[in-house]
Amino acid sequence: MPVATARTVSLQGAVGHLIDVQVDVSAGMVGTTLVGRPDAAISEGRDRVRMAIANTTRTWPATRRVTILLSPADVPKNGSHFDLAVAVGVLGAAGDVPLAALDDTVFLGELTLDGRLRPVHGVLPMVMAASARGIGRVLVPQPQAAEASLVPGMTVVGVRSLGQVVALLRGLPLPDAPPVEPVSGSALLSWRGQGRVHEQDLSEVLGMADARYAVEVAAAGGHHLMLTGPRGAGKTTLAERIPGLLPDLSVEESLELTAIHSLAGTLRPGDERLVRPPYAAPHSTSSRASLLGGGSGQVRPGELSRAHCGVLLLDEFPLFSADIVEALRQPLESGEITIARGDETATYPARGMVVLACNPCPCGDYTPSPLTSRCVCPETRRRDYRRKLTGPVIDRIDITRHVEPVQPHEMDDPLTPPPESTAVVRARVTAARDRQRLRYAQDPWRTNAQTPGPVLSDRFPLSEAAARRLGAELYAGRLTRRGVTRVHRLAWTVADLADVERPGTDELDTALRLRSGEPLLVSTLGRRAG
Amino acid sequence: MSLDDRLARVALGRLAEPGDPRMSALVAELGASRVHEHLAAERDLGGMLSDVAARLAGLDPAADLARAESSGLRFVVPGEEEWPVSLDDLAGAAPLQERGGVPLGLWVRGPVRLDALADSVAVVGSRSATSYGASVAGEIGATLAGAGLATVSGAAFGIDQAAHRGALAGRGPTVAVLACGADRVYPTAHRQLIDYVAQTGAVVSEVPPGGAPMRVRFLARNRIIAGLGRATVVVEAAARSGALNTANWADRLHRSVLGVPGPVTSAQSQGVHHLVRSGLATLVTGGADVLEMVGAAGDHLTLEPRGREHPRDRLTRREAQVLDAVPVHRPAAADAIARTSGIGLVEVGSALLRLRHRDLVVQEEGGWVLTASAAT
Repeated sequence: MPVATARTVSLQGAVGHLIDVQVDVSAGMVGTTLVGRPDAAISEGRDRVRMAIANTTRTWPATRRVTILLSPADVPKNGSHFDLAVAVGVLGAAGDVPLAALDDTVFLGELTLDGRLRPVHGVLPMVMAASARGIGRVLVPQPQAAEASLVPGMTVVGVRSLGQVVALLRGLPLPDAPPVEPVSGSALLSWRGQGRVHEQDLSEVLGMADARYAVEVAAAGGHHLMLTGPRGAGKTTLAERIPGLLPDLSVEESLELTAIHSLAGTLRPGDERLVRPPYAAPHSTSSRASLLGGGSGQVRPGELSRAHCGVLLLDEFPLFSADIVEALRQPLESGEITIARGDETATYPARGMVVLACNPCPCGDYTPSPLTSRCVCPETRRRDYRRKLTGPVIDRIDITRHVEPVQPHEMDDPLTPPPESTAVVRARVTAARDRQRLRYAQDPWRTNAQTPGPVLSDRFPLSEAAARRLGAELYAGRLTRRGVTRVHRLAWTVADLADVERPGTDELDTALRLRSGEPLLVSTLGRRAG
Repeated sequence: MSLDDRLARVALGRLAEPGDPRMSALVAELGASRVHEHLAAERDLGGMLSDVAARLAGLDPAADLARAESSGLRFVVPGEEEWPVSLDDLAGAAPLQERGGVPLGLWVRGPVRLDALADSVAVVGSRSATSYGASVAGEIGATLAGAGLATVSGAAFGIDQAAHRGALAGRGPTVAVLACGADRVYPTAHRQLIDYVAQTGAVVSEVPPGGAPMRVRFLARNRIIAGLGRATVVVEAAARSGALNTANWADRLHRSVLGVPGPVTSAQSQGVHHLVRSGLATLVTGGADVLEMVGAAGDHLTLEPRGREHPRDRLTRREAQVLDAVPVHRPAAADAIARTSGIGLVEVGSALLRLRHRDLVVQEEGGWVLTASAAT
């Protein structure tokens, strides 16, 4: 009898490998062997597949030797979605389905003992990987057909049971089958997230002209931002409104983000492609795995990746554990995070904006003037707290801004126009992003913040006077090399917001102020402060 | 022909650049009417005004005045009830950059009377201010307003604007002194601000109505800002800022000059730092400091900044010495403490009892240790 080959996909992080499931049924010692680095879920699948085939009124070739090979053999494979490919391979080898029908098709799905299909995590990235390898058709559990259909140019067939799959491959009318239940598990509590974020408007934020401008620049260029200031000054209020300032995701970005959420298992059936930039605000006691990715069993993307193309707020940043702070260095710089564990390495994209917020001291009441300070923290604790605000992670933050509580005279001023709304600011941010998209049309990056340093100075230089001034900052020791690159990127974003062709000394001055935390010029804020 | 003093001043104001010290000296000596009469008769006074007769003949000061009054302006001249006598100090001050002298008169738009500005404070600074400077200027304006004092400033971008807005937020009187005619708006972007000030405070200029804001007029204008009130606060000023000119005028007029510091690295604060360093200006950190400086002695006193009180602060030197010798964790007996502190056992014993009374030490098994409040 011939060897049957059914295909499926194995994921390592967000990278999918096309896997051939080759099945041979021949004479020999009776038994079933499964080789090619399967994980526990795949090995257990043998029994599920056997019973599923038996209960679909097919016969498992029980009196012969069944050899199942997963190749390429060196790629570690995981996930219960191998079931369907294994079953189809066995049926193909046993002559139950025509081998030609298995060509150009990828099979995804977990089987139950009675031959029904169950949904699996990560359908979107798997289908994307299959599409990239030239596969034209996928069979997925029926509730996930919508998710798989997000990939352009792919023929998606949603199926409910192994019986339907067999009929489909044989070209027969599909038998009826009960609908597939969605992925188990439901949210117990509504999370302080998406829904809430979209209701928040910038027009509710009074004063803080400086910080508002900083937030606008951060949103326009995708820059990381740090907000400091006493408790209750409005840091979180402002940070929560950043996602609203971002334009809708591009098709490409949205596929990436939806794929990550599919991997994380946070995509609910019926969810459309995610089009709004995500927002995540993990608590400072979050574990490393939940924040950066990992976890026991299968490696899952963390909050950092789930905020890809969106905003990750780390409130009370100095309270996060030291190893998390250290581990943030790589994603802040490269826009992706690699989790190495045992023999598997998973890489997830993490190109969100990171917003750090921190109080002046652990209790949050410290002010420089002893007359107003109600801080109760001992000096040593305050020092420890502040120590985390220096060093490599902070050097990778483009914009720092100090937020002071709004003073009464700022609110009672009869000449102040009402604060700008999110829609008004988003229009400017979108215009600035469009300029970047145009400028970087031929390049793999999308925003100023992602532009590599060497490319910046070669292809996107500052005006001569501005470049001289920036060089002087470096030689005077006021900026590190990395700082120079980051200020250069910021200057481009400031220019994009102001609709300036090429950043000059004015834009550079604003960029330097944004990075150093010095107050901005009122003329920069003019348009916004009224 | 001979005009009365008031009309003569209107006419002369059309003739001479504002702040020309030669004109104000002549007017001070001869009176406006006689100066006008001499000029109209083309008697050259020292060769300085040769073609003036023709120009004077073309003027109709009475119509000028009537037109201005119909558009809401009033003309205030020295000797009148509303005249701010504080400006008379300008007569005794030497010119600065060839500008000086008492103004011939002031054109005013707005309900605030100029003679009520004796306690006002000028708040000036850079046009290219930072948000920090603007915030401090606003706070000073609001604090002055809260104390019932008027804020005097220009109408430029940056600090001027912030000071006015602070004062307006505090519902206090505010005065804008312009370098163009008081009926004009410069900068034009500040129409709303200037109109609002004209409604609630006063817009003032010595330049006749319709006059353009020329560069040298700003220097002349600064002496009025400095002269009107009791003190001048410079909030932010770069090395060559016009606000420094105002500060120099205030110093020349023996008004207090106050400076708000910024970071030493900030270009916007260099001028202020120089004023403070050269001894010209007194450093202030906000509206409360300004009030203390301009008020009568004993009014508006600010609290002296001081750190939080620590229980150790009130100890005698001996007690402090004993306290230092008491361990944090492992109890030590009185004799060990006496050895460490180098003080006699009897005295240590009584000191420890007093320290225990103050809740700084406790006696445990094996000796004495610090309490939590003493350990911090």
